[in-house]
This record gives sequence, C-alpha cells and structure tokens, in this order.
Amino acid sequence: MYLVADINVEICAAKSCKLCTQYCPEANTILYSDEMGKDKGFKYGSAYVAVDRCKGCAQCVWVCDNMAKNNAIKMIMIDQLPNAALTDNIIYGEKSTTVALAAPVVG
Amino acid sequence: MSLDYVKFTPGFEKFMPKEYRDMVDHGPFGKKTTVSQMGSFKEVMEEHPMCAGCAMTLFIRLAVIAFPNPEDTITVGTAGCGRLAISQAAIPFVYGNYGDQNGVASGLSRGLRLRFGDKPKDVVVMAGDGGTADIGFQQVVHSWFRHERFTTIMLDNEVYGNTGGQESGMTSRGAVLKMAPLGKKFDKMDMVGLAKLAGCAYVATVVPNNPRRVESVIKKAVLVAREVGSSYIQAYTSCNIEYAIPTDKVMEDAKTVENDRYAFSEYISDEAKEYLAERYGYKEYLPKPAAAVAALADKA
Ligand SMILES: Cc1ncc(C[n+]2csc(CCOP(=O)(O)OP(=O)(O)O)c2C)c(N)n1
Ligand code: SF4
Ligand code: SF4
Ligand code: SF4
Repeated sequence: MYLVADINVEICAAKSCKLCTQYCPEANTILYSDEMGKDKGFKYGSAYVAVDRCKGCAQCVWVCDNMAKNNAIKMIMIDQLPNAALTDNIIYGEKSTTVALAAPVVG
Repeated sequence: MSLDYVKFTPGFEKFMPKEYRDMVDHGPFGKKTTVSQMGSFKEVMEEHPMCAGCAMTLFIRLAVIAFPNPEDTITVGTAGCGRLAISQAAIPFVYGNYGDQNGVASGLSRGLRLRFGDKPKDVVVMAGDGGTADIGFQQVVHSWFRHERFTTIMLDNEVYGNTGGQESGMTSRGAVLKMAPLGKKFDKMDMVGLAKLAGCAYVATVVPNNPRRVESVIKKAVLVAREVGSSYIQAYTSCNIEYAIPTDKVMEDAKTVENDRYAFSEYISDEAKEYLAERYGYKEYLPKPAAAVAALADKA
C-alpha cells in the first residue's frame, strides 16, 4: 500500500483558499467542489483529491500547513480511506466539480 | 491546430474515454482559463511518468494552463525529463533531436506564418538546462540573434536529471552531483544576459512557487513572440531526485533558491511594451500621459 493525500472537508471548507490546487505538481488531481461541506453549513466548498492520480509527494500538505496555515491535509495509506474521489466519478460543471466518493481499493 | 481538432467525430463521442470527453466539454480550448480557476476545469495535461513532487512537473502544468490560445499552440521539446509530461498534453508536441529544438522551432514558426498568415499560431520550446545551454546552445543563441518569433523556456533544474546527475553549464559553482563528484569548477552560465545581448524582446526569470507570476510571464512571452521577436523564460524547476530534496520540501527549496540566485526578473523591450499595451490591453505599459511626465520632470 502507499500514501495519498486526504483533505479534511470541514477544516478546508472553513478556509477554501484553493492554494493546494495550484501547487500540486499533478494535473487534474486536487479538484474543487462548491458543494462539499454545504451540508455542514460551510459556505464556500472544499478541495478534494482524486486519489488515483495522486503520487504521494505531500507537497500539498506543506502548502496547506505553511502557506494556507490551515493543516487540512494529511497523508494516509490508500487502503485506510473508506471513501475517496476517483477520476471516473468526477463530474465537471461550469465553475466547479462534483464527485461521488467510492472505495479506492476494492477486494 | 484549431478548435476542430479537439471536437468529437460525429457518432464517436460515446467511444471516447471519460478524460477525453471531459476535456472537450470542460477543457480550456476556446475559453480563457486562468490559474485561479484551477481545480474546476479539465486540464489538457494527462498522467505521465515524471517523478513524484517534481517542481518541473508543476511548472509545465502551470505553463500549459497559461498558454493564451492552447488550441493554436505547438510545443517543441527534446531529450530530458520535461518532454515526458509536455508530450502528455492535448497540444501538438514536436520532439526535436537532443539540442535541435530551437532549429526545429525556427522552421516551424516560419512555416506556420507562411501557411496561416496573420492568424496567431504560437510555438513554445520547453527544454532542460542541458538541452538549452549546453547541447542546444548554438541553435538557441542563433535563433535569438535571428529574432525568431517563438518562445524558449529553459526548465532549469541545474543538472542533467534524466541521465542521472551530470553537471550542466547552469549548475552552480561548487555543486556536487552523482556524476560530478569533485564539484563544479565553473560559474553558472548567464543565459539571461546572453538573451538580452542577442536582442530578445522579452526575458524573465521565475520560480514555480508563485503560480500567478508563472502565468503572467508565460502569457507575455508568448504574446510578444507573436509579432515582436524572440522571448526567453528561465525557470528554476528543481530536480528533487538529483539534489536529494524531500518532496514535501520542494517549495521551501524553491523559496531558498529564489532568495539566493533566482530572484524574479523581467526585461521587456520598449517595442514589446508598446505592443502589449496596444494589442492586448496591458495598461501598465501604456505611455505615461504627457502632462504626468512633465509634472514629474518639474518635481525633479
Ligand atoms: C544526441 C543525444 N545525446 C545524449 C542523449 C542522452 N540524454 C538524454 S536526456 C539527457 C540530459 C538531459 O538533461 P537536461 O537537458 O538538463 O534535462 P533534464 O533531464 O535535467 O530535465 C541526455 C544527455 C540524447 N538523448 N541524445
Ligand atoms: S490549501 Fe488547505 S485550506 Fe486551502 S484549499 Fe487546500 S486544503 Fe483547503
Ligand atoms: S500528495 Fe502530491 S500528488 Fe498527491 S495531491 Fe498532494 S501535491 Fe498532489
Ligand atoms: S529526475 Fe529530477 S527533474 Fe527528472 S522528473 Fe525526476 S525529479 Fe523531476
């Protein structure tokens, strides 16, 4: 198993700065959803990681901790994530994306 | 080389992979997408084998987003790490033999002008420091002296990354690398000085820890190369493998190097400033109104 980045929606949605999205070296990997966290009363949505594209470099962790000063991202073994975003389940909209979370490791 | 090349052939949409459908429907083609919208549109770059956490990967990702007209752009590259990602973007990519890239780009940009006349077709070279300052040096500098109208971007990781750590002309004096165990004995080459001397109309140095600045310099460099002359961007894009930088410290290293030897710099010729102001609305380069200039002179 290997490490991937995992964004805590409640911590991220309190800030929603999108910095990690701009610093992840991999394209289409940290995406943004206006809807995430709305059910918990947050206004601006959250970033999330398409774990099938994440290479586990932890640069986003450094950016969130040191630049955003929000500590919303942790590295987690992929089989410890019960549900995560996968490229196949991402729907692009006009200004944001939505995603149905699913188990990243099957079997 | 137009919006047509990313459309579906009628009847084939349902057979295309999801990533391709997303790119056609929600990609940057024909729209003005920016760095601040990242994470909400489908980028044209797809998966590639560059190392985890590589700053060169991040820079290439940002550069491709910053191209003013991605649907009318051709990239040219050569041997070295960067081509592994550049070639995985839905933008036509020409692979020059190692060091040939600026010769190839010269012919390509001239040919495109003959074929398409005034319709802008942008040619952007992205190559490593070895490919640009060592092996491709002659073709790079000659293309600048000829004022060829395309953009040259040096992906400067200060080493031959793809072949395991030889020193390049852009390695700093004293740097010890796997295949330069005694340390480099000469200074880092002044390619920025050479670019200015050769008459490049736009020259900038940049580090990827400021994505909006990367976007801004790429846009200006590409626009200036459409009409005014050669443009050159030198970007520090560390190799975390050969310089043993922990991947979560890559941006910290970029900041340190920026302070040490890679301060942001930008040179724009007067002609290029006038062109950017008049053609593309860059207000900061508009000539100061005569009255304001006179008032300043009075004060002096
Ligand atoms: C004519 C030729 N000579 C040598 C090589 C082997 N080669 C491939 S990549 C490379 C070095 C690349 O270094 P640089 O241009 O700095 O790019 P980086 O990999 O560091 O991004 C070399 C020597 C080659 N492909 N072709
Ligand atoms: S850097 Fe942190 S706070 Fe900002 S969007 Fe990313 S996870 Fe959220
Ligand atoms: S760990 Fe690296 S590849 Fe994965 S989401 Fe974070 S920055 Fe991107
Ligand atoms: S070898 Fe260095 S420059 Fe090449 S992909 Fe790996 S980290 Fe990046």
